Amino acid sequence: MNEITLTEEQRDCLQELINVAMGQASDKLARYLQTFVHLQVPYIELIDSEVLPERFAETYAQEGVSLVSQGFYGEKGILGESLLIYKSHDAHGIAEILGYEPDDVSEVEQLTDISSILTTTFLNGLAEQIDNQLAYSAPRVVSSMETPLEHHLQQLSFNWDLALKVDISYQVVDFSFNCDMVLLIPGEAIKNIQKVLDQILDEF
Amino acid sequence: MDVAAVQSLLIERINSGVLVVDEECRLVYFNRFMESHSLLSASEVIGKNLFDIFPDAPKRWLQRKIQSVFMLNTPAFSSWEQRQFVFKMRHARPVTTSSEYMAQNITFIPICDKGTTEPDKVGIIVDDVTDVFFYQEKLKDTLTELEHVSRTDGLTKVSNRRYWEERFRVEFSTAQRHDHALSLIMFDLDKFKLINDQYGHQAGDLVLVEAANLVENLLRKGDLLGRYGGEEFGIILPNTNAQGAAELAERIRRQFSLLKMQYEKHTISATMSVGICECDSRFTRFEDMVTRADLALYQSKREGRNQVTIYQA
Amino acid sequence: MNIPVLICDDSTLARKQVKKSLPSNWDVEVQFASNGREALNIMREQQIGVLFLDLTMPEIDGIGVLEANHAEKLVDFTIVVSADIQPEMQNRVAELGALAFIQKPVNTTKLTEILQQYGLL
Repeated sequence: MNEITLTEEQRDCLQELINVAMGQASDKLARYLQTFVHLQVPYIELIDSEVLPERFAETYAQEGVSLVSQGFYGEKGILGESLLIYKSHDAHGIAEILGYEPDDVSEVEQLTDISSILTTTFLNGLAEQIDNQLAYSAPRVVSSMETPLEHHLQQLSFNWDLALKVDISYQVVDFSFNCDMVLLIPGEAIKNIQKVLDQILDEF
Repeated sequence: MDVAAVQSLLIERINSGVLVVDEECRLVYFNRFMESHSLLSASEVIGKNLFDIFPDAPKRWLQRKIQSVFMLNTPAFSSWEQRQFVFKMRHARPVTTSSEYMAQNITFIPICDKGTTEPDKVGIIVDDVTDVFFYQEKLKDTLTELEHVSRTDGLTKVSNRRYWEERFRVEFSTAQRHDHALSLIMFDLDKFKLINDQYGHQAGDLVLVEAANLVENLLRKGDLLGRYGGEEFGIILPNTNAQGAAELAERIRRQFSLLKMQYEKHTISATMSVGICECDSRFTRFEDMVTRADLALYQSKREGRNQVTIYQA
Repeated sequence: MNIPVLICDDSTLARKQVKKSLPSNWDVEVQFASNGREALNIMREQQIGVLFLDLTMPEIDGIGVLEANHAEKLVDFTIVVSADIQPEMQNRVAELGALAFIQKPVNTTKLTEILQQYGLL
């Protein structure tokens, strides 16, 4: 039933927009965090809701994975969810760059704080290039040390069949800290983003 | 209709706190909700530094957060689940909730002046989520209570068999894996049927409760007493050999035999028979220990009751 | 006489964006290359006046092109147009003889400024 596919031009266009947004984000983050953030070339694919939990489990099912989710929505029916996945992290380093006092021990809050910064900085850059304005929901920790990801994945049910999935990895050099960002743009919103891409392609 | 006037009226009256700060964290706007909950008037806070107005706020963290909104031109968030409140204020449910201060969800938004793309102010929206906080806390308490109930024997308040066995399984495998000592005491009240017949079931219940209380008071931290069924109880003793278990069992047996229990006008005395089994590396399941402790217990009964027997292979 | 310009980027959109951002009063003859290998082939066969070069590309990347150009002295004016703005990268690019570094996305204002600065316009 799913007849959505990305044309070669659309994929190229999206890839380039994301590359540029990544560059802008790492520039801004470098200034704010005072350390360089490497963003790695994204991987773009259309993914079936049925295979998503399995794919996640393969990549992240090992112990100690934390996952933070943040929703975004903008004009022209653009919406989705950003998932930040931490395989391991230097909690002390993050606490330091975010201005936590030494006795502020909420690791969950530190994770939501840094996730929100990474997500919104990148997405704002992307939005700017497609001449859109995004709003965000508050970040939420979906799974952490206490509630394993696997457990959570088993309970997922989706109200969409297909999503546009973009994988980007972040590396914060001076704090031996890294994470993966997975953007999911589900169902109808894919068509809306295709329209936006086509408009940009028409301009050139 | 003057839309701008309506908008500013709504923001002034909305049931959330709205405040705006400039790059130096000086307050430029403070709506009515903020006024009434902080007991400060807009006229006295405008132009003042946010941290002077809220000296209890987590300064370093909040400054860094506001800075992120300015520098990255992105919104930022704070949730009551991680930080119950940022601005210490009273809430509007002093009667029906128990928390003293308002639980808050906060959104920080960049504000750009017309025609510019870099923010020069940050808007802070404070949502009162005291209700959510209160019901979550209640839910947490209820869950803890439920968990406790589900593992407790209703009459004696010691662990029920299901939970006791669950714990025994864990202790057994730990002991086997690390080659630690582990012993089991099983005891059964002597001639319990007679007590029931003579004084009634309520007297029987009293004896069970008294026995459980007495034993509970003699245990060390880490030992676990459970009601195995009827008038039979078990005690898991981690890091304890048969000798240690026998000493404890003997103390329990003697003290219980001396206990005078008062039921209505009757004074009741009772005794117990005890069986002990120490864990052996050849055992594969915790049930192997239960079976052997039971065999020792029956030997105590056969040999005249009110005594302790250690299982011998 | 129009100046031969080569735009090298693996993304079609990016190539078009650079072309569209060229000042309208600049008399140029534009050619495209979608990776470093293609670009070097063109540079070795023809005289190229100005090269607009992306860094992250398949086959031979932007650094590879700059290295070859540095050794073979093919094009005098190279302007790097990249989304990757790491300071180390900018230094490396300058060492290899790139004239300027433009952070994506490009636009006419940014380009005009740089072209004027180096007397290309």
